[in-house]
Amino acid sequence: MNKFILFLVTLIFSASVLAHGPTPQKVQESVTVNVSPEKAWELVKDFGAISTWLSSAKVTKIEKRGEDTYRIITLESGDKLDEKLRSTDEDLKKIRWEITKGNVPFTDFNAYMIVSKGSNDNESVIQWTARFYRVYKLNPPIPEGQDDATAKAAVQGFVDSGLAGLKKVLESK
Amino acid sequence: MSKQKKILLLICAFVLAGLVSIILLNKSHSVSKAYITNQGEDSVSVVNLDTLKLEKKISVGKSPLGISIVNSKDIAVVGNIESQSLSIIDLKDNEVIKTIPIDATPLGIVADADGSRVFITSWFKNQILVLSTHDLTISEAFNVGATPSGITFNENYNLIIIANRDENTLEMYDAESFKLKKVLRVGSHPYGVSTRNHLVFSANVYDDSISIVNLQNWEQKTVAVGMHPYSVAANQDRLFVANSQGDNITVINLNNLQEVKLLDAGETPENIAIDAINDKLVSTNWGSDSVTVFDLNTLEQIAEIKTGLQSRSFGQFIYRK
Repeated sequence: MNKFILFLVTLIFSASVLAHGPTPQKVQESVTVNVSPEKAWELVKDFGAISTWLSSAKVTKIEKRGEDTYRIITLESGDKLDEKLRSTDEDLKKIRWEITKGNVPFTDFNAYMIVSKGSNDNESVIQWTARFYRVYKLNPPIPEGQDDATAKAAVQGFVDSGLAGLKKVLESK
Repeated sequence: MSKQKKILLLICAFVLAGLVSIILLNKSHSVSKAYITNQGEDSVSVVNLDTLKLEKKISVGKSPLGISIVNSKDIAVVGNIESQSLSIIDLKDNEVIKTIPIDATPLGIVADADGSRVFITSWFKNQILVLSTHDLTISEAFNVGATPSGITFNENYNLIIIANRDENTLEMYDAESFKLKKVLRVGSHPYGVSTRNHLVFSANVYDDSISIVNLQNWEQKTVAVGMHPYSVAANQDRLFVANSQGDNITVINLNNLQEVKLLDAGETPENIAIDAINDKLVSTNWGSDSVTVFDLNTLEQIAEIKTGLQSRSFGQFIYRK
């Protein structure tokens, strides 16, 4: 009987481990802020201002590489991230960027933030959408810390604390 | 004019009017539906392209991505990434009629000309699986180059054409012998691939470009498009490209390869398909969990319709009846 249960557990476990593939992960969160969309957009579009609202980004440096704009972020851990500005759309109040280099538990990260009008003129909604993959992209078994759950938890952490930071900074201005 | 001639003319007019009304009636009675795989919620949304309404959500396997509508067999073949299976949907009643375990990760899916076989790229195993639509079983598999992603079928040349994403190549296989006929280097990171007449198109994600290959002489042209193009589809005179990080669709004139217009889509548009009956273009928007429908004649947006979490539909996803 015990052997049979063990067999069943093994079967279920191995099936779930095998069942992973190259699926992009998504984190999409929004926060309502009690300032006008214009005021919120002013800060959101300022590519070099990330340290003011993302507490884990200790230092930011803006760098031009040819036509492209990069921000170099130093995280609390000491790890560095290179992020490239992809586009800013004034009409839609949308900014897009991607990570080009960095020691983080996820890969192929690109993201965008959109500022839209809230329920009145002095309220806005900031939405942050991130798209990324886990670190390990080959066949299972997936090494510990390189799986979808780890990648998602790390990005979720950045997004949650970033949006909370934006709200705090914008509303205290 | 003689009396006989007048009668003859009248008869001709009646016959013509009859023919026109038959054609018009047929057109208005035809139905087009878009089948959208929602990778974030394990479902397929059915969008009626006439009423522009979401008709139904169908539960499929885990993490569905690729799809191919087999119009002649009234089925859709859906590839489930995480559960490593195919879901077969009966398009007449929108029910899953069979789930086929394949022990492989299905990426691109395409049917041959008469719909008797469906070809599926197997991502990790570097193979193409052949599904027989006669008995809905995998009849064979053959080896291909690394990271096979997008797949298309050219009827005129009887070729299965795949994009080998990490090798920056297109591989072309004879659809009967499964022998490799040609390997062509294209732009960087080709993902989506499609074909029309003697032309093959690949969307080169890292290059922000499209490669156009002429099957008559292997000549190749490159066209710059928007950011991170994922897929490309053509009609008789235009090419449509979904720029996944541009949040837009580039429309290109196929005669002079000039950009005609840039269409705003939903967020992260990944895949597009053409509804030739209703002259509509549909993009699947991974970021905004929706599809955007455009009028192909005016190139204006008609509607954005919420579909489901992480809408992707990699493949030809429009059913016409």
